[in-house]
Parts: sequence; structure tokens; C-alpha cells
Amino acid sequence: MKTGFMQSIRALIALKPRQKLTVQYLLSLLIAVLLAFLVGAGIMLLCGYDPIACYAAMFKGALGKPRAFGNTLAKTVTLCLTGLAMSLAAKAGIFNVGGEGQLYLGGLAAAVVGARLNGSPVWIVTAGALLAAIAAGGAYAWLPGVLKVKLKVNEVVTTILLNSAAIYFCSFMANGPLKTAERGIASGTDAITQTAWFTPLIRLSNLTTGVFYAAAITLLVWYVMTRSTVGFEMKMTGTNERFARYGGIRADRLALWGMVFSGAICGVVGFLEVFGLHHRFLTTISSEFYFDGMLVAMIMRYQPFGVILMSFFFAILNIGGSAMELSAGISSEVMLIVQSVIIFFMAAEGGISDIVRRNAAARRVRRNARRAQKEARV
Amino acid sequence: MSDVFNLLLFQNTLRTATPVVLCALGCLMTDQVGIMNIGVDGMMLMGAFFAVLGSYLFGSWVMGLLFATVLGVLLGLFYYVFSITFKSDEFIIGVALNILAGGLTVFLLRTLFGVKGSFSSPGIVPLPTIHIPWLERIPLLGPILSGNTLLVYVSWVLVAVCWAFLYKTPLGFHLRASGEAPEALRASGKSPERMKRLASVLCGVLASISGAHLSLGYLTMFSENMSASRGYVAVACVIFGGSNPPRVFLAALLFGFIDALGMRLQKYIPSEITSMAPYVVTVVMMVAVVVLRQRRQAARERAGRALDGR
Amino acid sequence: MSEKKPTIVRFSHVSMQFPGVLANDDVSLEVQKGEVFALVGENGAGKSTLMNLLYGLQKPTLGDIYIKEKKTAARHDPLRAMALGVGMVHQHFKLVPSFTVAQNIALGMEPKRRGVWYDQRRVRGEVLALSERFGLPVNPDDPVGELSVGLQQRVEILKALHRGADVLILDEPTAVLTPQETEELFDVLRTIVRDQGMTVILITHKLGEVMALSDRVGVMRRGKLLGIVQTADTSERELAAMMVGRDVIFDELRQGEPGTTEVLAVRGLCALDDRGLPAVRGVDITLHAGEIVGVCGVEGNGQTELTECIMGMRPQTGGSVTLNGKDVTNLTPGDIRAMGVSWIPDDRLRTGLSAKATVTENLLVGRQREPAFSALGIHYRKGNARRYGERLAEAFDIRSGGLEVPAGSLSGGNMQKAILAREFSFDSPVLVISQPTRGVDIGAIEFIHEKILEKRNAGCAILLVSADLDELFRLSDRLVTLYEGRITGRFPTDDITRQEIGYYMTGGRQKGADEA
Repeated sequence: MKTGFMQSIRALIALKPRQKLTVQYLLSLLIAVLLAFLVGAGIMLLCGYDPIACYAAMFKGALGKPRAFGNTLAKTVTLCLTGLAMSLAAKAGIFNVGGEGQLYLGGLAAAVVGARLNGSPVWIVTAGALLAAIAAGGAYAWLPGVLKVKLKVNEVVTTILLNSAAIYFCSFMANGPLKTAERGIASGTDAITQTAWFTPLIRLSNLTTGVFYAAAITLLVWYVMTRSTVGFEMKMTGTNERFARYGGIRADRLALWGMVFSGAICGVVGFLEVFGLHHRFLTTISSEFYFDGMLVAMIMRYQPFGVILMSFFFAILNIGGSAMELSAGISSEVMLIVQSVIIFFMAAEGGISDIVRRNAAARRVRRNARRAQKEARV
Repeated sequence: MSDVFNLLLFQNTLRTATPVVLCALGCLMTDQVGIMNIGVDGMMLMGAFFAVLGSYLFGSWVMGLLFATVLGVLLGLFYYVFSITFKSDEFIIGVALNILAGGLTVFLLRTLFGVKGSFSSPGIVPLPTIHIPWLERIPLLGPILSGNTLLVYVSWVLVAVCWAFLYKTPLGFHLRASGEAPEALRASGKSPERMKRLASVLCGVLASISGAHLSLGYLTMFSENMSASRGYVAVACVIFGGSNPPRVFLAALLFGFIDALGMRLQKYIPSEITSMAPYVVTVVMMVAVVVLRQRRQAARERAGRALDGR
Repeated sequence: MSEKKPTIVRFSHVSMQFPGVLANDDVSLEVQKGEVFALVGENGAGKSTLMNLLYGLQKPTLGDIYIKEKKTAARHDPLRAMALGVGMVHQHFKLVPSFTVAQNIALGMEPKRRGVWYDQRRVRGEVLALSERFGLPVNPDDPVGELSVGLQQRVEILKALHRGADVLILDEPTAVLTPQETEELFDVLRTIVRDQGMTVILITHKLGEVMALSDRVGVMRRGKLLGIVQTADTSERELAAMMVGRDVIFDELRQGEPGTTEVLAVRGLCALDDRGLPAVRGVDITLHAGEIVGVCGVEGNGQTELTECIMGMRPQTGGSVTLNGKDVTNLTPGDIRAMGVSWIPDDRLRTGLSAKATVTENLLVGRQREPAFSALGIHYRKGNARRYGERLAEAFDIRSGGLEVPAGSLSGGNMQKAILAREFSFDSPVLVISQPTRGVDIGAIEFIHEKILEKRNAGCAILLVSADLDELFRLSDRLVTLYEGRITGRFPTDDITRQEIGYYMTGGRQKGADEA
């Protein structure tokens, strides 16, 4: 019994340095957010708006009415999924910046397959579209992934370029061969049967039963990344690929699978947009959804739990920003600026705290040395 | 065929390649000191906006360029402070910079000019078109080489200047040393950080000015997302050209050619496909470089085996 | 007694405090003009730090430094040190690989033509003149990255001389040289001290060289200067005792005869290095159970590539590797590990550990799929992993601030012990060990050598690759010498001396060396 007690004390002491880091990090995050809000307030003042009124409008616009809250939750879902997609690949050491293109292709595939299966039972339509989205997103991520893993071609640049290619391609398809015959739809594919549409959970909002798919995926990704053996191996691959290989881990395969699954998740996001919101593929299906999710992931250092929390906060900023534009009049882009300030500060957090610590340590050292000198003379 | 492969095609090549050339030269500078600046796309976008702003407010393209230059210096310093002094991840800072650029330019567009989408006005003074008489007289190439706007010629000069600077001046040697072996430079009494700061500032200025060419070069307008990922293409060109100014210039020209060709072919091929082409080609280029390098390696292997008499 | 020569460098009550460690503790010493002064001590004793202060790379927390009787300024930096005539040749060369010899020597003080252009012709001329004057032949146009280590060091020395140094600090200069190159270096140093009136400060832990070259020796331990003695009045054993604080016995610890069962057979192995040039050119080695075969060679002669091939980390271009009769050529590291081979790599941070992962995680790699640590191959059993890590850390005396800290925060010696702990825990019948005690303190060296011998006595077949001849002679049953990718000699350890083996390490060939 005594040894058990001693063991738990030892365990507590062993955890302390890690906990200290987390507390410091969260504190920095809080400071970053406050700083960013101050900057935003400054910009608002400069343009002749009342910051308090603007921010109030923002929070009210995101959380006030059930409909707004539903939209915020829906946005949280999108950010969370894209953020986790980025984090999963990043954990294995590969940066998937091409999620936007994978999202588009996934949505296109889901819409096309879903529409083709019109007339079959609902679950077949849904399953078929889901599989198509996963395959499309995964395959499109596989390409830059294999280029990086086998040929060492920089995946950041290839995925960004392939983004543009995919978006243009989808636009071409939606305006050309796959264009719907329905009148009134500018550039889109055929609609999927109404029975397959997701049901909204909150009236008039974007929140649909699609959120349950998202929750399942989130849980799965969180588990894989933090509690699974594969996640352990991915962490080793991501932190030192050569070491992972030396230790017998199939680093190549892990990195590639990380990338493919990341793309698959993005494809699913496209699927959710089609089945939940637009019911067909439109060229306006996404407006930088993936980039927003990427930001969340980068700020929270690719930690799944942090990504989930931060998605909610960013969703508030996002939805609230648009609401703010409608009620207070200031352009919603100011929230983008606020977001980027948070990122800058959080990215610099490590370096700034190092500098602060070094200065404090140097000052302490000089003080002690001077004290020692004085004592020696006495 | 002749309405595709004509003078206009090559003129457009130069015009489209120039922003990529300028931006790539900037990226090349930071690459030489060991930094990969992904944020050049955002710098290009902001440069485009501020150039229009300057030109509009003062009715002069000189002021437009000046605005872009000053912005470039500030952006370069900003990037340096965050990625070197604060040791942030270059990739995060770069992407965040691009997002800031998008948000800021749209915000300013709506707040300052009160428009959405794009801003155009007769009050904006474009960059001057320069006709060089003796250049014009060259058969075939004459009309292509002469009659371009200012920054096209500036970009040519800068390619030569960059090359000479990097390989023929002591400061250029210091710059390259700070990327390849910073401790060696430090031991000889020079500060690698100062070199990185210089490279950052140069990159910011070049990227900004490349944006000025976009908005004041031939069109006189600013539209949202004007850079259209050209900053990333510039990065790809630097990788493709191995940070060597003349090679990077050729890579950018190739991109410009494909882009211009795409525009000419829009009559026959859907516009999305032609817009897609440059990006796909750039990816193929990057892969080709790597594959070629590996083939060269394999050939050396075979030679090595021959040397050992096996 | 020689007349007292003028003091050229003086440290007066110098202390240097880093966060958490007092690197120099009230050090006062004088270096006389025209002498060779050796500064010895273990890793971390503070000798490099002291010289960094002299050279201006750091500022002392307390105390003053005088160069030629002038106190160093508050803003003392390498430029100022060089202006005062102090030059430093670092342990890790500060050279730019893609620049030529001349460009490296002139780095930071390039002459200009018309104020802008680099006058490379003048620099070449100056370099040729300098190299003749001091007897250090070099080709000014060679890219430094392609030179041998000995030549690179020569460039470093010329760099210091080019700036007019008359005090030359050399930090562990012979760590990367062959015995022959070391002798050449010492001849050069003796000449420039005698003929050009140079002062040389030698930082080293190799006591044999101290005895051969220096006039006076200063011994440092844990930041304090213990004392200065005339080299003629002392011995290696005395110096070692001062360095460590106790009597150190450099004995051989092997006991028992090596086994005779062939376990690992390397035949005609060929491989290329990272640049695509042949690094291993037909190597034959046979390893038996219960024996240690030591591979002697200066770093850069193919050892790294050889061990990488055996472990499956590098593709072979020829030859074969057989384990207990089974061909393991070009298998993946995972497969080779499964067949019973473990490797302690020469590069701790690049290959042996993940600096950002925790110590526990580093200790677990290789076992993460075992049922004890992975439920159904899916769930990671963190509790079991932690307990296992604690057990290993205790058995191998790994000191850290808890096991959940990043492995990169451990000291060099503890990192090495962690890698050892992990690799030894697999109980593999074959161990490939590269540079096990590089950068590790004497206390830890003892511990690591003990553990290696334990494995040998338990029947392991061990391939030991090291640049430290003392270590090789102490532990190995047999020695092979590797030079430019080929085996140049095979000897039972007791049948050869250190001097003789130096000859084979640098190209001398033994008849019949090509047969295993």
C-alpha cells in the first residue's frame, strides 16, 4: 500500500513539467486572443466604428438565437473536421495543404454518385456517395503524398498547386459535362433525391444530422492520434522519420496513410456539405473552409482536443463576423485579421517565451554574481 | 494556328512571367539564407493593393511603386522578426501572412473604396510602357522585346544584378554563407542574422513590387485574390531552378508561356482547363526535377561501380 | 629552469554562469608567449567555454581577460579577438562546403575591387603566399566540402593565420585525424612555435598528445582550474587522476575465450555514400557468438555506411549479408531487427532518438506492437509503457527530469545510455555498436563498457565501430582496419600495437586482408 502511494506521488511529480507547459500555453493563448481583439478594436476605431458594439453584435450574431447557434455549431463541425484532417497528416510529418481541393473533389464525387443512384434506397445512396467522397479525397491526397514519400518532392507546394487545379477542374465539370439540366442553377450538378437529404436539427440553420457523422469521425481521429499504437508510430515518424525507420517502423507507409486519410476526411466534409446543405455540387460549395481549419490546427499545435475546442471559438468569430457586418456595418474581414493576429502570436509564443526566460535568467545570474562578489569582499 | 502562336502570345508570356520572376528572385534570396518564405503570395497581393492605393491617391505610378516598396520593407522585417527572432515555424507564418493579406486587402477594399470584388478607376496611373527604338528594330523579336511596361525590363536587369550580387560580391558570399554554414560566418565576425534580415527585406520588396506589376502593369485595377497562387508558383520556380537566378528566370518564363498559351487557347478549350494547366505543369516540373536528379545519381552509381572494377 | 617568458594571455578570476550550470568557476591563469599550453579536462569541465570567452564568443559573468596585457573590451567579439591576434580552430570546423579554400580563408575580410566586386585573384595570391610561408600546402581552388578532414583542418589553421594570429587556440584538433595526420599536425605546430614565435593553446582530453607536444598543462574539473604543471614534471596517469579526481585504471576487461559459432557474415559488401560515391568497396567480416570485433578507422572511411547496410538503412550495391545462414541483404530495418540484430548508431540525435518524443516513448520503440504494450495491436497501453520505461531507466542509470520530458533535453551521456538501454533490452544475439562513448564522460564510459562486455560474456556477437583506439583495444577480441571502404588488416588484439595499427588505418595493407 505504501509503495502504491509513493508511486502515485512520483507519478504526480513526473507529470508536473508537462502540466506546467500546458498551463503556460493556455495562458499565452488567452493573451494572444486578448491582443488580437485589441488590434481588432483598434482597426474598428480607426474606421469609425464602436468596438464594443461590433463585438457585442458578433457574439450575439453567433450565439444569440437558436438559428445562429445552429449555424455556429455547423461551422464548428466543418472547422473541426478540416482541422483534424490537417492534424492527422501533420502528426505523421506531412503537411496536407491541399484539403480544399480534396474537399471539392469529394463533394463532386458525392453529388454525382448520389444523383446517379437516385431511386435506390436511401442508405445505398448515402453509403455510395460517402464511399465516393472518401475515395476521391483520399486518392487526390495520395498523389502529392506518394510524391513526397517516394521522391521527396515538397508537399506544401504541390498540394497548394493541386488545389487550384482541382477547383478549376470541378468548376469545369459543373459548368460542362455534369451541368444539371435544372433551370436556375448557375453552375451545379444534378440534385440528389430529397429523401436522402440530411434533416436539419435546428430550424432554418445549417445544423443537420450530418453532425453525427462528424462526431463519429472526430472521435475516431482523436482516438487514433492519442490512444492508438498507430498513433504512437505516427508520432515517431513525424518527430524523426529516420529514427522511426531505424526502429523498424514503416515510416513511408505511415506517412502516406496519414496523408490519404487526411484527404479522405476532407472528401467527407465535401459529402456533408452536399447532403446537408446544397443537395448538389455547386462551385461555391466551399469558401476556404480548409484554410480556416488549417489555421485552427496550427494554432493548437495539432493536438486533437485543442483543435475541437478552438474550432468552436473560431466558428463564433466566423459566423459572428458575418452577423457583425449585417448589423454593425463593418466588413467581416476584420475578423480574419483578428484570426491571423492570434496565429502570429501563437506561432511566436515559443520564441517569445524563450527570450523572456533568457532575459530573466541572465538578470538573475548577474544579480547572484554581484551578490557573491560583494560577499567575497566582505 | 496562327491566331494562337503569334506576337501576342509571346508578349503575354513576358507580361505573365514578370510577376513570377520578381517574386521568385525574392524567394531565391531567402532560400539562399536558409528560409523558405511561403508568404510571398500574400506579399504580392498586398503589394498589388498598396500600389493601386499609392497611384490613386497621388495620381502617380512612382508613388504607387514607392508604397509597394515601403510595404515590402515592412513585410520583410515582419517576416524576419517572427521566423528568426521569435523562431516561429516558417510555414505557419507564411500561410498566416497569406490569410492576413486576403483579409486585409478585402477589408481595405470595402472600407476605403467602398467596393466589393475589384476596384478600378481612371485616377489610377499605370506603369509606363517603354519603347526602346534600337530593340524594336530587331527582326521577329523586336516587337516582343520593346513596348513592355517598366517592371518587365526591371526584372531582366534584376536577374543579372542578383546573379552578380550573389556570386561576385563579398556581401553575396556572406549571404550564401549565412544559409549554408551560419556558424562559419559568425566565426569570421559577421552576423548571419543581419544577412537573413537583409534577405528578408529584399524578398519583401521584390514580392511587393511583383504585385505592383499585377495591378499597375497592364490592367489598372485591384481585384480580390489577384495573386491567384502565383506566389506559390514562384516558390516552385526557385526549387526548380535551384536558387540560381538565370535558371529561375527560365522556369518563370516557362510558366508564363504556358499561362499565356492557355489564354490564347481559350477559344478552343474550356477556360477552366486552360487555367488549370499552368498549375499542373508546375507540379510536373517539380517532379521532373527530382526524377532527373535521381537518374543522375543512378548514373553516377553505375560509373562508381565501373571504377571499382566490377 | 627556463627564463620566464612574457605573458601573452591572462585570465583573472574569470567565471561563466549559464542557466543551471557554472561552467567556469573563478579561473585565473597565464599563458606565456611562445609556449604550447595544454588545457585538459573531461567533457563539460569548462575548457572549451574558457577559450570561447577568450575568443569573444561569450562574455564572462565575472572577471577579466587580458590579451597582450590589454583588457578585453566589454563588447569583446571574435572580430576584436582576431584583431588582437587570437585565432581559434574549432572542433567542428566553421567552413562553407561549397566555397573554395581561398574563399573560406578570406571569409569576412574579402578584398574589393572598385569598392563592390570581390577581388578573388588577389585572395588566391595571398593564400598561396601564406601557405608557403607556414609550410601548409593547399590548392586555393578546391571546394572545401570535397577535401579530407586533415586538409579541412589545414584550411582552418590558415584562416586564423591569414588574420594575423599569433595565438592559436586548437579545440580537440586530433579527434578526427589519423595517427599519421596527427603527427603531421604536431610537426607543423612545433615549427610555427619555434620559427614564427607562435603561441599555441591546445584543448584536449588525449593525454598522450599532451605529453608529446606541450610545455605546460592546466587541468580543469567541473569549472575549476585545479592546477598548472610543467609537462616534463608529470605523467599521463597523474594528469588522468587530476582530471577525474580518482585513480583511473585503463585496463582491459575481457575474460574468457570468444565463441566459434559463426553468426553474422558480411561478404563483398559494396555501397555508396550520400553523395553517390563508393563508400564501401568489398568488405568481408565474420562475427562469432561471444566475441567483439572492433573496426578501426578514422571517421569517413565507410564505417557509417557499412553499419547502415547491415541494418537495412542503406541500399547495398553489391555483396551479401548473412545472418545465421539466412540472407538478409537489403531487408528492411524492421525485418532485420526481427531476425535478431540491434544497432547503436553513431548519431544520437539524428538516428538513435527522437528529440521531441518523450524518454518513455524513445525507450519503447521497437516493442510498441508487443501484446504488453498494445491491446489487440490497436490500443496503446500507456501505463505499461511508463512502468517499463521506469524500469529501464533505473537499470541503466538514466538521469532526467522525469521520463515524460522530451528526450532532447537529456545530456549526451544520458541520451547514449537511453539508446543502449533500449537496444540491449531486445536481447539480440547480434549487436552493432557505433561510437558508443563519443562525447560521454569518463564515469559513464566505464558504465557503458561494462555493459558491452556483459553482453559479450553472455554470448552476443558484437561489431564495435569506433574512432577511439583506447576503447577498441580495451574491448575487442579481434581488430580489423578500414580504410577508404576496404579492409586493410585483420589482427587479434593482443598481437598488434597502437602505432602499428595506425599504419593500416591509413592505407597500409596487410597481405591477405581481403579474406575474412
